Amino acid sequence: MNYEVVFLKGALAFYALATAAAFVYLYNKDDKWSSWMFRLVGVGLALHLVSFGFGMHYFWKIPDNRYYFPINSFFGALSFLSLATVAVFFLIESRHQLGILGAFVLPWAVVGTGSAIIFANPAAEGLVPALQNYWINIHPVVLMTAYAAFGNAFGVGVALLIQEHQIKSRKPSELCYRLPSIEDLDDLNYRIIVWAFPVLTVGIIMGGIWAYSAWGRFWGWDPKETWALITALVYAGYLHMRFVKGWRGKKAVYVSMLGFACVLFTFLGVNYLSPLHGYLSGGG
Amino acid sequence: MEQSLALLGLNHKSAPLDIRERLALLSASELAKRIKAEGTKEAAVLSTCNRFEVYFMPAGEAVETVGNRITALLEQISGAALSRYAYRFGGEDAVKHLFEVSSGLDSLVVGESEILGQVKDAYETARAADMTGKYFNVLFQRALYVGKKVRSETGVAIGQTSVASVSVQLAHTIFGGLQGATALVVGAGSMAETTARHLISQKILRLTVVNRTWEKARALAAQFLAEAVPWDSLPSALERADIVIASTSAERPILTREMIQEAAKTRQGRSLFILDIAMPRNVEEGAHGIDHVYVYRLEDLESVVADNMKKRGVELDRARGIVSEKVREFGLWEKSLGSGREASFKHSDIQEPSRIS
Repeated sequence: MNYEVVFLKGALAFYALATAAAFVYLYNKDDKWSSWMFRLVGVGLALHLVSFGFGMHYFWKIPDNRYYFPINSFFGALSFLSLATVAVFFLIESRHQLGILGAFVLPWAVVGTGSAIIFANPAAEGLVPALQNYWINIHPVVLMTAYAAFGNAFGVGVALLIQEHQIKSRKPSELCYRLPSIEDLDDLNYRIIVWAFPVLTVGIIMGGIWAYSAWGRFWGWDPKETWALITALVYAGYLHMRFVKGWRGKKAVYVSMLGFACVLFTFLGVNYLSPLHGYLSGGG
Repeated sequence: MEQSLALLGLNHKSAPLDIRERLALLSASELAKRIKAEGTKEAAVLSTCNRFEVYFMPAGEAVETVGNRITALLEQISGAALSRYAYRFGGEDAVKHLFEVSSGLDSLVVGESEILGQVKDAYETARAADMTGKYFNVLFQRALYVGKKVRSETGVAIGQTSVASVSVQLAHTIFGGLQGATALVVGAGSMAETTARHLISQKILRLTVVNRTWEKARALAAQFLAEAVPWDSLPSALERADIVIASTSAERPILTREMIQEAAKTRQGRSLFILDIAMPRNVEEGAHGIDHVYVYRLEDLESVVADNMKKRGVELDRARGIVSEKVREFGLWEKSLGSGREASFKHSDIQEPSRIS
């Protein structure tokens, strides 16, 4: 039996329950549901960590893989990305206690772990020699942590647009009083991105350093590299708008959402285009 | 004869203010001692400016007799004829009344939370005077628990039902905390003043007043310890304001779309919340279409008020549901006392302190 998958299914179940609790909380102001959501997410996260531990255990049975992170497969990458998303959410939630954000962030964790289980092959594969390098423990991990944070920012952005729409309608519903204020959501969106952007940049630079040591060049306009750069530029644009021009609110949030679309494309779409980063889709 | 809780009281619905005032002046601990002397086993006095209630358990005589003696005592001390205004409940009805009171369901402002502290004080005063036994200890602790539960699990307190309080609530959904906010009152009028007062109670950073008549602006500003600015400075005052209360008697819109557009440009996407509570309107309709500008007209605010009134009905029903359930539970406990095997309360439903959202 593959315990990595078993525990991941358990985590998925708890994420799904937590998402359900988050949605119940949206429509029923009972704080009980938001604290249940928090607990369910906690259990899901613990199961997910165990799953990842088993993943590592299976991966290291292949001697060449030893002490590298099991994120060379689509399964491993999706699992890790969801884990990071939930972990970032858990962190934000425990600091800000905006129970309401669960409804906007946790669905991503469900989709991530769910597609890993349904679409990806969990079998541990040997690392190709090119990837047998300590950078694989750093470069993708750092980038995916940034992606996870951007995913959370996206959830905050969705909440902001809903809240903005509510107030603009002049007929605010119950939801309006449940959601954090426009300005608070705007601040949180900014704070997450201002933290995640340097992580993304460092991750990209690390990729360059690895590329230099492996292939003798820092940058090669591989589609993954190009799209990572585009993502970074879009978020830099957002930060410029916020920081230098002082723009806030809806327009700035649209830019940050465009950034997240780039993240998704860099993570998923480019795998089919990129000769060098294609390992995630089984190529390379 | 089986022991049973009894209640003798009057509140803002049953008695006029001057009667309530006379009772509110009496010292609760002093009263407690004298009530005990009237033949009660346990007793507590809940005294606020809106209500005066004596909860007691007769020591042996009939409830009626002891109740009459307490009424006579209170009439003698206060010098007011109370029996006309007083209500009496016994047994389960008295328990239910206490739970409703602690939940804020019997308050003038439904759902207010001050009463919870007052119930607690009443209990502690009685306990300090050595007037409570096991029954009252459990009764009052349950009352406090039910009061907290109702507030955390239902929305009795959140549906605001006045234009001013709805305005403040909406301001919170836009800005969050209002500590850093600047408000601008354009014109005068009692609704504008009430709204300004509500905003001040939220510790806003600054209040500015502008009026076509400089003297009026100065007078209103003085009243609120605010800053008055001349009429010509309206555009620049608009740039600095986060919340604008428009309430002039002008026949035509004085805040034009163009003027607001100009102000919005300098605000770099920070929200601008405009309350147009004037009749006819003070704000040009197109202004609401500007990004980050939210114009609420009097009719919008009134429809939110009407909505809240409706919703509050649902929340009140949920609150009453919790109260009846807890009264029933208490009744079971009360019965179990006589049987010699005391039932315990479910604690599984005691919640952690509610989380801030």
